[in-house]
Amino acid sequence: MSRVPFYLKERLEEIHKRMLYEKYETQKLPVWERITLTWIVLFSFWVVITANTSLDNLIIGGIATLIIASFMRDMLMEDVRHRGHLIEKIIYFLLLYAPQYLIIMAFRLIESNMKVAKNVIFMDIKPGIIKIKTDLHSDTGVTILANSITLTPGTLTLDVSKKLGETYLYVHWIYAETLNREKAGEKIKGDIEEWLKRIFW
Amino acid sequence: MIEYLLLAFGEIAMIFGALGILRFPDVYTRLHAATKCDTGGAMTILLALIIYTDASIFIKLKLLVLAFLIALINPMISHAIAKGAYKYGIKPKVVVDMYAWDNP
Repeated sequence: MSRVPFYLKERLEEIHKRMLYEKYETQKLPVWERITLTWIVLFSFWVVITANTSLDNLIIGGIATLIIASFMRDMLMEDVRHRGHLIEKIIYFLLLYAPQYLIIMAFRLIESNMKVAKNVIFMDIKPGIIKIKTDLHSDTGVTILANSITLTPGTLTLDVSKKLGETYLYVHWIYAETLNREKAGEKIKGDIEEWLKRIFW
Repeated sequence: MIEYLLLAFGEIAMIFGALGILRFPDVYTRLHAATKCDTGGAMTILLALIIYTDASIFIKLKLLVLAFLIALINPMISHAIAKGAYKYGIKPKVVVDMYAWDNP
């Protein structure tokens, strides 16, 4: 009996540390980092759309996109995780995370096209609407996860609900293999959620 | 060579998507065919165009922006149509409906 309070105390300390860590992780980025990241996105879009690399055009575009980025800094970069230096973040994203995501999604898109063709020919469907749980909480992360689930084979996102700090997705599955929530979530989400959890919280 | 393969894959995916819209039983299963086959077919056709054309690099980048916008917008529209159909009262033909359990 004397061991129980110690055990509870250890457990409480662990939960407290975990909560502090989560709070630190979910802080917003500093203001200049948000402005710089938004400016990079907007300026690359400007260069691609105008298709003109003369110096005048670049200077005008840089000033205009800097003004827009200083106003709109919360729109794109609100939900990005707070980790590492700015240059480290950009290099990791361009060299590691973006190619990983593109390769995963390209193969899944091809597979889903073939699966729809197979379903059309043989009509072997058993549809069901399943509720699964995700670990993501931010709006941008849940949006990208729902879009990726819609493009993966055999699933279509219907709705999102947030209750008591947990996020649930309702998924229309064209061949409902299992009704267990954990197994269905593992099968539907795959490794996309692991990927998204590194960037968005 | 690879651009002809991509073009053929896109065309076949589009044909099967149209066939799926005609053959599946209700709204939600038809949306499956519409979303996936349209996204995959349009994106592979755009990739084939990017490889095939000998225009400047900016034209190719504009086509790539177009493919990105298609991949972003198409699932969102299908989600909006599915939720709207459910709110309107169209019952899905399913074995289990957990959305109706939580929203009676």
